[in-house]
Amino acid sequence: MPEQPDMTPDASYELLGARDVHVSIDGVQILREINLKIGVAERVAIVGANGAGKTSLLRALSGTLPVTSGEVILCTEPITRLSRATIARSIAVVGADLALPFATRADELVALGRLPHGSGPSGPTAHDRERAAAALERVGAAHLAARDVRTLSAGERQLVAIALGLAQETPILALDEPTVHLDLKHRVEVADLLVSLADRARTVVAIFHELDMVRDLFPRVIVMKGGRIVGDGAPSEVLSATRVADAWEIPVERAARL
Amino acid sequence: MRSQQSLRTLLTAGVALLAAVAILAIGVGSVAIPPTEVIGILMHGIGVGTGAAADAGSTAIVVELRLPRIAAAILVGGALAVAGGVFQSLLRNPLADPYVLGTSSGAALGAAVAILVPISGVAWELGGVQLAAFAGALAAVGIVWRVAGIGSGEERIASVLLVGYAVASLLAAALSLVMLMSGANLRAIFGFLLGGLDGVTWPRLAAAALPLVLATLLLAIRGRPLAALLLGDEGAAHLGVEVRRERRISVALASLATAAAVALVGLIGFVGLVVPHLIRLAVGPDPRAVLPLSAIGGALLLLVADSVARTIGIPVGVITALIGAPFLLWLLHRSRRGYAL
Repeated sequence: MPEQPDMTPDASYELLGARDVHVSIDGVQILREINLKIGVAERVAIVGANGAGKTSLLRALSGTLPVTSGEVILCTEPITRLSRATIARSIAVVGADLALPFATRADELVALGRLPHGSGPSGPTAHDRERAAAALERVGAAHLAARDVRTLSAGERQLVAIALGLAQETPILALDEPTVHLDLKHRVEVADLLVSLADRARTVVAIFHELDMVRDLFPRVIVMKGGRIVGDGAPSEVLSATRVADAWEIPVERAARL
Repeated sequence: MRSQQSLRTLLTAGVALLAAVAILAIGVGSVAIPPTEVIGILMHGIGVGTGAAADAGSTAIVVELRLPRIAAAILVGGALAVAGGVFQSLLRNPLADPYVLGTSSGAALGAAVAILVPISGVAWELGGVQLAAFAGALAAVGIVWRVAGIGSGEERIASVLLVGYAVASLLAAALSLVMLMSGANLRAIFGFLLGGLDGVTWPRLAAAALPLVLATLLLAIRGRPLAALLLGDEGAAHLGVEVRRERRISVALASLATAAAVALVGLIGFVGLVVPHLIRLAVGPDPRAVLPLSAIGGALLLLVADSVARTIGIPVGVITALIGAPFLLWLLHRSRRGYAL
């Protein structure tokens, strides 16, 4: 394993957390009273309506959205005390669609995930390229290695983006709608991948819209509404018809059929 | 994807090629000097005497006339190509070149004003025009920096490009006015705009060398954060890059290198635009490979172009375009599917 912050394999270890986090931008409250604690090897889904603050929460937790008040905790340390490089060795974020200015092979791109593990001007090492190839293999995209990422379909780009996050080899993998462009086959594969990652002690935090998938695969679900966490627990509890109806503002009888 | 080892091999080969071409280029001119004699003179010059000293006339031509010009071609070519590669990566725009933040217009206006100042004869001798061009270039970048808020974290790439364009246009308009009023000095101003290495002397080179070499070297080893920036600001941050700080450092260094280059040799286009693209076609977009190889590629291109230019008496900027553009077009055509601008 590459260098990682010291971890004791114990459930009380606060790998990722938020203490009374508020974020407002230009007077608009984006996140309010966010309190949560995520431990090692947990598998957590974040759900909620559009504009509920899911992506903002992910950005605050990974330190790219500065908090207005409160504190984000990463590996038991306040995130503001950690350098960007340390954060990048602790949490990988698979974000929205990849947009690249130049032709870039998929394996070259995935190798960029190794950047936080090196220093200085030298290029990717043999080990880096090996890890990149393994990450592409892991998402079932080894055959795309030599393709220009800009010519790939949205679904293929999605797989490459996940491989990029995997290549970073961090204890936490955060994903923003990782299955959004994927067909059924790849959706299933990515879902299985996320489960197997968490089984191997990696913590997975992912934003999803597909509630059926969330119910199946995620032991813990965070429901957001209006910048607040309105539910945090097992899917059977927080994704009941009444609570879904409330969070998404739809009729209960419709929610019951989801 | 290039491993460290193949990159090192490429760099070594590039430096060797550059040295060989430089020795040939020193020999080219109205008085042809064979490579062996050039090597003898150079060895003698650095105190590794190999017996008989070369002919005094040849020595003077090599050391006083050709060597500063060759050295300037190498340093300026390398600086422009690296700065171009940095701006393309930083602004995520394949059309960016070293002059994208208004450096060229600022330098031209500075030089034109300096030429028009009554004591221009003396100022020219002392390198006053070069100093004014350097100051003008940095002032233009300074204005763009302030207006676009570079490094503030609020800047958007499109607005940086637009502000650069607007400032450059404003300065170009001012330059046109100055040129209209310049009368007999128009030719001197035009000469600066055309660019060229004719006026390079040891003292002028020495003055420009420090910012030129320092900025280029520091940029050439900043490939790691610039590689992360291929993924955009947010993506780079997730890969551990302090984006604001990185952008400030890179823009400052690239502008410094460009300003020093423009001050020394005037406006030479195309090297900074085309060389990084040629390198990317060969080794992919990772700046850790692109920047050092661009330094060598830019040096080679300008060295060859200037040698041709002084042999047949055509401005070097014309030659860089004549060599570079068809080569780029050929490569793009050949690898159409692999590399689309």
